[in-house]
Amino acid sequence: MGEAEFAVIGTGEVPTGNYPERSEFEIAYTVARTAIQDAGIDKDEVGAVLCAQHIMSNPDNDYNTEMVFGRLPEAIGAKGCKVTCMTSSGGASSYSIRKTAEGILRSGETDTVLVVHAQRFSQFSANEQAKYFSIAGCDVEWEYPYGMTYNSLAAMITQAYMTYTGTTIQQIAAVCVACRKWAMLQPNAMFNNKEITIDKVVNARMVSYPLTTLMCNVLGDGGSAFVMTTAEKARKVCDRPVYFLGEGSDYSHRTITRANMMDFNQLTAFLGPIANEAYEKSGLGPQDMDIFEIYGSYPTINLMVFDSLGVTEPGKAGELVEAGETSPGGKYPCSTNGEAMSFGHTGTGCGFAILVETVRQLQGKAGAAQVPGARFAIENCGGGAFMDCHFTVMGSEVP
Amino acid sequence: MAGEKIDIETIKAMLNLTDEDLVKPLPIPTQWSQPFWDAAKEHRFVLKKCSKCGNVDHPPYLYCTACSADEHEWVEAAGRGTLSAYAINIFGVPFPFWVDLPYVVAVVELPEGVRMISNVVECDHEKLENGMELEVVFDDVTDEVTLPRWRPVDESRRG
Ligand SMILES: [Zn+2]
Repeated sequence: MGEAEFAVIGTGEVPTGNYPERSEFEIAYTVARTAIQDAGIDKDEVGAVLCAQHIMSNPDNDYNTEMVFGRLPEAIGAKGCKVTCMTSSGGASSYSIRKTAEGILRSGETDTVLVVHAQRFSQFSANEQAKYFSIAGCDVEWEYPYGMTYNSLAAMITQAYMTYTGTTIQQIAAVCVACRKWAMLQPNAMFNNKEITIDKVVNARMVSYPLTTLMCNVLGDGGSAFVMTTAEKARKVCDRPVYFLGEGSDYSHRTITRANMMDFNQLTAFLGPIANEAYEKSGLGPQDMDIFEIYGSYPTINLMVFDSLGVTEPGKAGELVEAGETSPGGKYPCSTNGEAMSFGHTGTGCGFAILVETVRQLQGKAGAAQVPGARFAIENCGGGAFMDCHFTVMGSEVP
Repeated sequence: MAGEKIDIETIKAMLNLTDEDLVKPLPIPTQWSQPFWDAAKEHRFVLKKCSKCGNVDHPPYLYCTACSADEHEWVEAAGRGTLSAYAINIFGVPFPFWVDLPYVVAVVELPEGVRMISNVVECDHEKLENGMELEVVFDDVTDEVTLPRWRPVDESRRG
């Protein structure tokens, strides 16, 4: 018998894409209201409002400063708010902010926490965005002077993974195709109106060999929110709460050269034990999972994470993906919002989008993308230059 | 693998870049990494080694990441390494690097037990291979700054 302390009872999301006129404030206020309404609670029940850091903030009207200084509870009229703060760990923010929420809930200060993410990249020029990410992704002293980029980091990992596991470039491309198939079923995905094929992905413009443009994620504006409560309150106020059943975490490095695992083909050896810990704490195993919600950000990382989930022998994830097993209708539905490659990369928000999608699926609210009868899922996120990883088993019931 | 070449002047006009946007970034040393760059300028390749526990740190930090001791020495490294992983940048790199396309970025594994990100130069891209042996070469990019890069030991791989 597992136990659950906390649950999500409602979510909100706006479409991801290029919306220069839609400010990050508008996104935050919108997703906050949607999540509260979806949860079926009164806004005054919210006792804590937590925001994720917005990256590349605009100094003329700095979202981060405004949120740190309590703009959001005032703007949404959360009269019962006692605590507000901002949390960030890059792409792992959905996890670290949740831990903050759990601490607040456990303290007894409140039983209801609202968590919000909002991001608008399109207010910055292509040059500004490129500059930010070329520096954010790597070390300015030891890597940037060598022309290193985020894409080259993912390309190196891909090159090594393919060499050591025998995974083909077609199998790498198959992840992008599967993600696009899911995104086609998602009204909020950035790329949801055009199917792609393995050939098209492989033959797209080469960016950083062996990665083509269609294997690299695309930045988009977007945001989402969720309402977290104690499991006790969740059962009282919500028909179908989604419980946190078990988690595992580990940190590895800032710069990839100092990764815990000395061989790139061994990333699974880092990730596997984290997934196992999450399974063990939940009392469930891979055979119980209806969905695998991976935030890989690049197709190869998606495969490495899948390799770690106990479904397949490490290094063989590509075969399953190529056979369509992770696509809609497949045996192992994976990244059902289309993740960074097709849903769009919203900075610190990719992990939020995956978490929100996990909740939607387990609440039976995923629309056309709904995996029939889904009860249990494992989700993950990680930040920086693949600095860490967090796995969480979630369920619409406590086993 | 070579993508179509895009003229940097076209990009400059298209994106309104200034000359400043095209200046290559140089390492900004810290007080604890300065000896590495000073040695590189003299075409010596050194690593920070803890005098207490013998741990070699790269990148170096303020104190030993294994035992937290301050005491250390800068030791001459072999200047040899093996290629652990690589990428060939073809397109979409930061603007100062457009002139270098296509170029190789790599993880180089050193016998001293550390790894570094660098470029593999003087190499036929078709002959890049994981595990291939590399040797350090020193590139004086300015009067003040020298970047250690790597080339194949095997002359038949050079290009
Ligand atoms: Zn030491």
